[in-house]
Amino acid sequence: MKTKKWLGILSSAGLPLLFGVVIFVLWQTQVLHSWLGTDTITLPLPTRIGEIISQNRDSIGSQVQMTLIVALGGLAAGSILGYLIAVVASIFRKWGAGGLTIVSAFNAIPIVALAPVINNWTRDVSTDVSVRSTLAKIIVVTISCTAAMSVNAFRGLTELKPFSEDLMTSYAAPKIVVFTKLRLPNSLPYVFTALRVSVPASVIGALVTEYFAEDTVGVGRQIRENIVKGQYPTAWAYIATACAIGIGMYIVLMLVERMVLKRRKA
Amino acid sequence: MKAERKRFLLAGVAAIMACMQFTACSGGTSSTGSTASVSSAGSTSAAEESSSAAEESSAAESTGAMSHEDIIKSAAAEGTIGNWGLGNEYEIQALLTKYGLPTDYITMDFTMDQFDSDSVKLASAMTYNELGLVKNDYDGGYGYGDSVSIIDMNDEGVAMLEDNLFTSKAFAEANPNTVKAFVSASMKGWAYACEHPDEAAEIVFEAGSSVSAEHQAYMASEVAKLVTTDMNGNTVSAADVGNMDEAAMQQTLDLAKQYIILEDSTAKDKLASLTLDDIRSTDYLTYDPETDGAPEKTSVSVQLKWLPQAQFMGYYVAQAKGYYDEVGLTVDIISGGGDISETTAVYNGTVDFGVTWVSNLINANAGGMDLLEVAQVYQRSGLVLVYKNSNYGG
Amino acid sequence: MTTAKTARRGPLPVLKRFVHSKHMVTLVWILGIVVIWEIFACIVAATKRTPVNVLPHLYEIIGSFFSDKKVTGKMTMIELIGTACGETLSRAGIGFLAGIAAGYILALLMNLSRVVEKIAFPYLMIIQMIPILGMAPIILSITGDINSARIVIAAILTFYPVSTNVLAGFRSVEKEKHELMYSYAANKFQLYTKTLIPACIPYFFTGLKISAPMAITASILVDTLQGGNGLGCMLSQSLKGGMTRLVFWDIVLISAVIGILSFVLMGLIERLLCPYKRNKSGN
Repeated sequence: MKTKKWLGILSSAGLPLLFGVVIFVLWQTQVLHSWLGTDTITLPLPTRIGEIISQNRDSIGSQVQMTLIVALGGLAAGSILGYLIAVVASIFRKWGAGGLTIVSAFNAIPIVALAPVINNWTRDVSTDVSVRSTLAKIIVVTISCTAAMSVNAFRGLTELKPFSEDLMTSYAAPKIVVFTKLRLPNSLPYVFTALRVSVPASVIGALVTEYFAEDTVGVGRQIRENIVKGQYPTAWAYIATACAIGIGMYIVLMLVERMVLKRRKA
Repeated sequence: MKAERKRFLLAGVAAIMACMQFTACSGGTSSTGSTASVSSAGSTSAAEESSSAAEESSAAESTGAMSHEDIIKSAAAEGTIGNWGLGNEYEIQALLTKYGLPTDYITMDFTMDQFDSDSVKLASAMTYNELGLVKNDYDGGYGYGDSVSIIDMNDEGVAMLEDNLFTSKAFAEANPNTVKAFVSASMKGWAYACEHPDEAAEIVFEAGSSVSAEHQAYMASEVAKLVTTDMNGNTVSAADVGNMDEAAMQQTLDLAKQYIILEDSTAKDKLASLTLDDIRSTDYLTYDPETDGAPEKTSVSVQLKWLPQAQFMGYYVAQAKGYYDEVGLTVDIISGGGDISETTAVYNGTVDFGVTWVSNLINANAGGMDLLEVAQVYQRSGLVLVYKNSNYGG
Repeated sequence: MTTAKTARRGPLPVLKRFVHSKHMVTLVWILGIVVIWEIFACIVAATKRTPVNVLPHLYEIIGSFFSDKKVTGKMTMIELIGTACGETLSRAGIGFLAGIAAGYILALLMNLSRVVEKIAFPYLMIIQMIPILGMAPIILSITGDINSARIVIAAILTFYPVSTNVLAGFRSVEKEKHELMYSYAANKFQLYTKTLIPACIPYFFTGLKISAPMAITASILVDTLQGGNGLGCMLSQSLKGGMTRLVFWDIVLISAVIGILSFVLMGLIERLLCPYKRNKSGN
């Protein structure tokens, strides 16, 4: 039993890693470049990217900090908000469903349009550009994380196993008990489904809002600066960093998911 | 409705928490070599450093309008100098360095809303575009009229050359006649446009520009000034449109080397070693079909640096007046203004020619692209800093 | 459920049905947002120098849409936005369909083979993480044409929700059902067509409802990579001056409306395809 478990972990870590190594070799030997029809400036070699990252560890570190604040802040706010909306919607089912549509509509406003609007709205918050700019960025990420959570959580809260709700009613369980004992646990897997979408969305959202932010900080801003200026190797160093942020957050999510869902099963 | 309010509340709380964290960590990350961290994390210390300078100049404030130097110092101390970044910031940084100030700036978002709301008090503007929007009150304008003044980069001696015409070295070597033909027809267009800016504006407008007719006319007249006047204010004759002034090019390259900050050590070395010969060639300025022969490639495209507007009127005029047809070229004018920059597009062969700022070309070549300027259209800098007189004792 | 019951009870069935219908709910929601918008617009109008840049009145935005004043050299607002919409939406549509197909096939493959899942899943996520700005020049050099590059990017940005949701749907089938199918001696193909694929339909539509608006936002975002006539191009041109700022607001409003419509459309298709769900879910 134990060896089987270890084998499972080994294969779920080993296989993607192996695939990664293959890609890495193809990339480094420029086979990938000939497949994609590109060159070593548009897609710099991994060693070159690594070199730039190691030379600029400090400055990259400080950019990462700024991006993490925005991504995590927005993710947390958006997810909590999304869940609350789902809860409210599941209580007032008829009005809530309409509300969910409206929430999703907010998601339909592209970040390129949202960022300048929010920038204008938060202008009076502070004379310190870093404060108002961070707030604006977090609001944008919040909006882009809300819909996925509310739609999924609503499903989790309402699509119960057949008869389970009737059973609870037959026990004369009050609504609050139905909620905590039935709806809430039922929604947990859906929450993680939502997070699997909104974790990448929060990182991408953070990067894109940084393109338009007043404050010249963050990994996203560096990517844009360097791409527009034609500094592709440096841009790719930041792109690799952005991927690492996303992957890191995703791994944390997976670990949390495993812990939470396992405890629930036990 | 409830959800709406909650969202803002929550976002606010999250943001406040984030901001607290932010201030806590920004102290530790102040001085790094990158352009990005300078403007934000460094801003507190920058303000402290230059506040003494602002105090010294406060005497002048009481006597009415402040001098340019005092205005720049005061805005730097407040942290309200704005620029767009993305390679447009070098002249501003050179100006700040000239007055011994740190090179921080607030990122402007290509609108003048920040200037309007005073979150940027000394805002970057192009004479032919943003300045017109600030002053005039047509569609998209802010209507400040004469209540704003400017600080001109040319007068301050930190001007860098802007809109040029470039291609890749490989393309120029393979198609010398095409390049010559395109340059000469384009410059003919520019010469005509500068003599008849109103007609040029009309042509650009007809070509489907998004910019209003009034703003187009304003822009054409301002652009004509940049093409026909050099950095020292001397007139450039129509025959010389497109020429590369040696001193101005050198000044641009020197400033670029000083203010382009690169994190890539290979690119850094390349930048330091660049000479004028690596970035421009004067071989393509004249074209004689008799001796040179016909263009090798007859269908070419040119990507503009920005939206289709009178900033690029020369190409539209050459198109409309048939100058390209005369030399046997079919030209496709592609508008820019996106994040895939003109340097990238020319480099990867999506387009044949591009219009960019000289500093952007230098930057791209340092990054490993092999681009070549073949004509210099603007002979002086169009960048100014604009401020409201009321903010500075006027 | 409630709709049907109350309508039967009420004295004025038609009116009652409308008052209690979902359309009424949506209408009230929209009205609520309009009221909030207008309150803030009034505050902004009273306090700001150029209110149109911060928050214009809704009637200004809608009025500008139907005004016959030319906003560019040749086109009025409605013509301009119509053309832009057509361009962006056709790209979004193609990208969306390609994204769905890719997402669904990937989910199938991942469910068929543990090895594929283990290899592909982390990389699906990583692809989502690569900022478009980094990918765009590479994709552009592959396609050689900015518009096809835009479609490809729209597809890349939309397939992830479909993939994850469909996979979750496959996984949601209880073990008993699997065993039941095996006891019927069903082969793998039958297992998929009879059990797994029907079971994942609700999940599939959850994915679609998320990715349909995403395809539109993604298309607007990739418009800004280079010039052109798309919604994103017009949006950034309006911000960059010259053209009235109302073009920007019109596009913001329109993109939201299209987003809702795409979401509603997915719901409609869901109800057409699985009518047995019609009474179960409220939305």
